[in-house]
Amino acid sequence: MSQSIVVSPSVSSARIGRNRRFFRRKVLPWLFVLPILLLNALVVLGPSLSAFYYALTRWDGIGPATFIGLDNFRRMLFEDTSFGKAFLNNVIWMAIFLTIPMVLALVAASLAARVRRGGMFFRIALFIPYVLPAVITASVWRFLLNPTLGLGAQLAKIGLPGLDQAWLGRPDTALLAVAFVDNWHWWGFLMALFLAAMQSVPPELYESARIDGANRWDEFRHVTLPGIRPTLVFMIQMTAIWSFLAFDYVWILTRGGPAGSSEVLGVLVFKAAFNNLESGYAAAIGLTLSFFTTVIIAIFVVLRRRGWEI
Amino acid sequence: MKPSKSKFVSAAFVLALAAGACAAPPASAPAAPAAPQAAAPAESTAAEPAAAEPAVAEQAPAASGEKVKIAQWFDTTGSATMANCLVEAVVKPFNEKNAGIEVEATLQPNSWDAARTAIAGGAGPDIFGTPGPSYVLALAKAGQLLPLDDFAKEFQWNERFAPWALNLGLVDGKLYSLASEVETVVLYYNKTLFEEKGWTPPATLDELLTLAETAQQEGIIPFASGNAEWKGVNEWLLGEWINRLAGPQKVYDALTGKAKWTDPEFVKAVEQLTELQKKGYFMGGLDKYYTATFDELHSAFGTGKAAMNIEGTWYLSGIGDNFGDAAGNTNDWGWVPMPSLDGKPLFNMAVGSTYSINKNTANPRAVAEYLDYWFSPETQGAMLTKCGLAPAAVRLNPESLQGLDARRIEVLDTLDRAAREGGYGYTTWTFWPPKSNTYMIEELEKVWSGAITAQQYLAGLQKLFDEESQAGSMPPIPAR
Repeated sequence: MSQSIVVSPSVSSARIGRNRRFFRRKVLPWLFVLPILLLNALVVLGPSLSAFYYALTRWDGIGPATFIGLDNFRRMLFEDTSFGKAFLNNVIWMAIFLTIPMVLALVAASLAARVRRGGMFFRIALFIPYVLPAVITASVWRFLLNPTLGLGAQLAKIGLPGLDQAWLGRPDTALLAVAFVDNWHWWGFLMALFLAAMQSVPPELYESARIDGANRWDEFRHVTLPGIRPTLVFMIQMTAIWSFLAFDYVWILTRGGPAGSSEVLGVLVFKAAFNNLESGYAAAIGLTLSFFTTVIIAIFVVLRRRGWEI
Repeated sequence: MKPSKSKFVSAAFVLALAAGACAAPPASAPAAPAAPQAAAPAESTAAEPAAAEPAVAEQAPAASGEKVKIAQWFDTTGSATMANCLVEAVVKPFNEKNAGIEVEATLQPNSWDAARTAIAGGAGPDIFGTPGPSYVLALAKAGQLLPLDDFAKEFQWNERFAPWALNLGLVDGKLYSLASEVETVVLYYNKTLFEEKGWTPPATLDELLTLAETAQQEGIIPFASGNAEWKGVNEWLLGEWINRLAGPQKVYDALTGKAKWTDPEFVKAVEQLTELQKKGYFMGGLDKYYTATFDELHSAFGTGKAAMNIEGTWYLSGIGDNFGDAAGNTNDWGWVPMPSLDGKPLFNMAVGSTYSINKNTANPRAVAEYLDYWFSPETQGAMLTKCGLAPAAVRLNPESLQGLDARRIEVLDTLDRAAREGGYGYTTWTFWPPKSNTYMIEELEKVWSGAITAQQYLAGLQKLFDEESQAGSMPPIPAR
């Protein structure tokens, strides 16, 4: 016995409509992003995942890799004294960049926000260092910080001694000197971001504050800072992450020297991979770097979930 | 390692320079029935029969009338001057004269890092350059390079190269690379300053140290030196000190596992170098040494602010810019072998680069023909005279060296004679495995800063050296 199922036209068209909606809402968007997802998987996700594997191998970056388990991590944590020193330098670097350029940029932005005539000139002048290539900025500053030819030496010649020091050549000042140069190029960018954020704060809030008797500091503290908080917090988070990725200025100016005094983890990765032909070990350090940045992100996520307005 | 690269000298090469075109082959060179100097490179390669048993069965270039294209990368890190010069003086003439092969030259910053990454991915230039034999070792063991033995036989490279230089390319008994840029480290001195002060160029280490002390007392920097742009300057100095204080035989013994780096001779060498650094002999102090650029230190040397400079023979191509009219002074320079304990000339051998055939090339024979051209006496002569690049250990044609500074020829001649009498030592960047080499450069600064002792430094070196030796990472060490 056979049964025939009769579907009414209204039910059929309803189903087609549902399918179309499903396609448009659930499938079509994925089709649009599919090419970039595939590209990302190829050039970002794939190499990232391979780093997990190579971190567990002895690999010179040329031939086949030999699986050695966690030996690279054991060596990194318990044998390689450079790692601890470099990590500490990264922490110092982060502390510097979370304070000095932030304060400088906030002060400069709040002052620049009030400038009516010539404001654009100051903004451009302070922003230009950011668009200069690192190699140019670093080379210029290497010359300026030279103890016999640089700024300090010229000041000493006119009777102002004290600054004619080899700031990049002393183990106690090399890291600070590199951070100074990097900061010189960086804080103008921060200022531009903060300035843009400040200009989006409604002027009425300032007027209300003034009516309530607020002075400049009160305005900055109770109106400006809350008004730019999303930008500020985002830049704090990014600065913390980027501090662990520091490489270019350190490499160009000191190569991590003298005596490893300015070595950061990024430099350690480069030396392991390209000088020592230890790509497996470099992958392990790189993975650890990623772990540190993940921890930073996690801290912000947890704080947000606990109700912090950041 | 050094900035632009180069090193040692071939016995055969200098003999040809010193004694003219008809010189007898030197003792260290094979009895050469016919040195390949008569024919122009392009002609000689073109004349090679294509059927002459190619090492790898591939197409004969130009068979179809269309040029076979092969790629070569030229390093531009720091400056593109040398790269551009080599393209003009070497690649262009080859492409113009050679009907079957066209070399596509690419200027590439950090070419070694880029090429190493590319070859691992199945690409990279057909002509594969490395910074030295120890890097060839890793590539050859990974199967990334083609063996050159059949090509060497076909092109008779064993008759062209000094044996020690050709042997540097051996990995497990097979030839994988050809050594280029043979140089050494010497002591340059400001001749005008020395004449003014009545100083005599030193021959022994004691004389050198006495002279350095005298110079410092007179307010002159003893040695123009600094590593702001090239950390490898550390190893130039270290290599000189350990070869001189411990002696090349002792260094050879340590390289071949018969002695330890922790032996007292090596400790003494590191301690003495540290003491000199602390005295401020190099550029006036460690902090200045760490910040002095090459321009700065060369200028100090040329003007007489510094008396001497311990540097490789690669500096010969640029030293003229720091003296005389070119530098706006009236000073002149001279050179002597880096002083030794007994005053006998001792030169540390070095190779600045090597060339191989990329396993991934589609045209191995075309690359071999180009290598034959690259290492021909004429081409090496052109590199030296036009670009200032140190030659490989091949017999050069004296006529092709016209215009070369007589002092440069003198350097090569003296080096050759010393090498033939066993007066050669070992540079760290050519004969140490990679990790040990990097360690020597980087960790030495910790000794200088007082963070670790010379003994601790050398114990660390020994540990790393043992690991690399056991892993088979040692480059070939020429026997004494």
